[in-house]
Amino acid sequence: MEFILTQLSGFGGAFWALVIDPLTYIYLIVSVFLGITFGALPGLTATLAVTILTGFFGNKIPLDYSMIALLGAYVGAIYGGSYPSILLNIPGTAASAATAMDGYPLAKAGRGGEALGLTTTASFIGTVIGTFALLIFVWVLLLISKNIASPEKALLALFGILLSGTLMSEDLVIKGWIAGLIGLAIAMVGLDPLLSEPRYTFGWSYLLSGFQVVPVLMGAFAVPQIIEGLRHMEAGKVIALQGRILPNMKSIKRYLPTIGRSGVIGTGVGALPGVGEDVAGWVSYGVGKTVSDEGDKFGKGSIEGLLSSETANNACIGGALIPLLVLGIPGSPPAAALMGAFKINNIIPGPTIDPAIILRVVAIMLLASFTMFIMGLFTARIFIKILRIPQTVFLPIVMVLTTIGSFSVGGGINDLYLMLGVGFAAYLMNMMRYPIAPLVIGVILGGLFDETFRRSLLISDGDLSVFVSRPGAAILLTLNVLLILSQLPFVKRAFGRLRGNPA
Amino acid sequence: MDNSDDRAVLRARDFWASLGLIVLSIFFLWKTSDIPLFGGNRAGVSGADWYNSAAIVPLGIFSGMLVLSFVLLSIAIKEGGAKHALTSVGIGWNKVEALRFSTIGIIMLAYIVGLVPRVDFILCSGLLITALIYGYHGGHARRSVISTIFVGLAGLFAFAFYLPQSQWSAHVDDWVTLILWAVLSILVWLQSKGDRVLRIIPVIAITAPVFLVCAMAFGFRQNVPARTGLVFKQIEYHYYVTLRPIWRN
Repeated sequence: MEFILTQLSGFGGAFWALVIDPLTYIYLIVSVFLGITFGALPGLTATLAVTILTGFFGNKIPLDYSMIALLGAYVGAIYGGSYPSILLNIPGTAASAATAMDGYPLAKAGRGGEALGLTTTASFIGTVIGTFALLIFVWVLLLISKNIASPEKALLALFGILLSGTLMSEDLVIKGWIAGLIGLAIAMVGLDPLLSEPRYTFGWSYLLSGFQVVPVLMGAFAVPQIIEGLRHMEAGKVIALQGRILPNMKSIKRYLPTIGRSGVIGTGVGALPGVGEDVAGWVSYGVGKTVSDEGDKFGKGSIEGLLSSETANNACIGGALIPLLVLGIPGSPPAAALMGAFKINNIIPGPTIDPAIILRVVAIMLLASFTMFIMGLFTARIFIKILRIPQTVFLPIVMVLTTIGSFSVGGGINDLYLMLGVGFAAYLMNMMRYPIAPLVIGVILGGLFDETFRRSLLISDGDLSVFVSRPGAAILLTLNVLLILSQLPFVKRAFGRLRGNPA
Repeated sequence: MDNSDDRAVLRARDFWASLGLIVLSIFFLWKTSDIPLFGGNRAGVSGADWYNSAAIVPLGIFSGMLVLSFVLLSIAIKEGGAKHALTSVGIGWNKVEALRFSTIGIIMLAYIVGLVPRVDFILCSGLLITALIYGYHGGHARRSVISTIFVGLAGLFAFAFYLPQSQWSAHVDDWVTLILWAVLSILVWLQSKGDRVLRIIPVIAITAPVFLVCAMAFGFRQNVPARTGLVFKQIEYHYYVTLRPIWRN
């Protein structure tokens, strides 16, 4: 009880400090607005919003304001993706893909205003659920994570990469794993963390410090989006918004169980390392379709279907921050970008993180969700106007933003070459349906994996049993092995036979 | 393209990609052999055990990649990827798409490699924005080629004439970029009748980079590319010499 009271008073203090600072509101309003705009414009994503703002703010403004800007943009962008899903039938972000299934038919039926109003409310409640889960679970996990040593950290990093490769692959799972390995390989460039041995530097001094995270993030997430957006023609006509946006309490009360369930699912999926908002949206949509009384209406304009995905993808944000803050393993691609921001500010997320930072993150998330809610309800029509801007107009500006952001954080031309190289490679990988998130997570976790894996071996004098003799390590190793085994064709066939489905 | 065609294209690409990955994995495994594994002197410290080596994790990564690449190759071959690899299905791109991608690629390359390091950021970004909106709005193939020529020329000039870093602050490339931007803008203006997007290009092309570079340099005190560029040098001078003293005093 005392612990809870201490945390609540700490959270109250952090919240109050933000509330009384006028600059908080400026950063919040601008970043949430930018986030919703990024989410609303098809072709721009939440990850891109966080990445670009990381480059823009870098480490030149106080960390608190930097976090407000990035978290505000993150919350806003995930919510903003619902606009084009509902009004254009084009998901603004991958996280809103499931939203389009029901949102567009609703808008076509003249219920666009109602859909948007309920989506805004559901996104707000979802974010709050995720935020409170973050406040509660982060402390429990932090206590557990104090006992995590090098073997567990190495296996956890590997699990994060493998899991994100498995769940983010659209085509073959093997491609997700290859992307993760490419990310790990990129992280190996530079001086090794234990002996300072140069690796793959080819005599180029720039490479001695390894690849900077921000240019890699920009290259992996921004450049392919720009090329893809410019390569294809602008699509679709925005449906005129009909009906009032402000939802009535009766509707909200009616759908509260759906919102609550989806919030919990979204938070849970978010807590899985490297998975992200799009998976959360689809999982919640799938569960909703199974358990709902109106499951047969899903995909034809069901409010429950719409709320299932929209609540979950916003709740996922809080969930995704749990592994990031506790273990230093990002729960989603935007969280990976957020980790880049932490890194350039010399903050190392993980068991050793300053607890005050966690409390500030929770307070910022809460304020950002309120800002998003108010903006969503009262300024929706501005975003609908923004939605009409063709991609070909804003993508060149994004290119300029990306360039100056990448240059400013790294401070060198080499970072721009790196960004372009990674960008073209990521574009080709996208074309071949390789997921990019495992690559980025591999780059971010590569150093941690390398260091902790080798430290484990050093401590045990090369005895590999260190990965099974500790209970935590044994569990994580089993999870890694099971994850790999579950994807092998003969295991899949065996499971299929067990389920009575021999295919 | 229907689903089976889509799959055939994907497997053909997988076939080529797996071959590329195999070559890369082998190359990096060979490069890893440069890092001492058993014994040897590392950074002045003598190590004698394999587990002490900086090569151990990279060896695992590239071996893993090699194995996965062979698995991918076998999947691609089983699903007909090798059969389609040398046919048009294997490429999976039509002429229009190829042209669009190559022109975007050239423009980005000219901008990042040729222009940004050497030319004033406002000028080169203005040219880029003008070229990209003009070239890709509405899907006119001819316009994308014209845009590529303009940005390519500016980039090539800056790159070829100011290759050594010591010459990067020269201004001739700034003037060349400015002239090319002006000519392209006139071209856009001549064709802008009836097209709202084309009409707003000059406004966006000027305001976006000016706002960004000033916010970055003066608002967030960040480093910006080509600080001694033709336009930014003047802005920076007047900011510190003319404007700042007004509110400082």
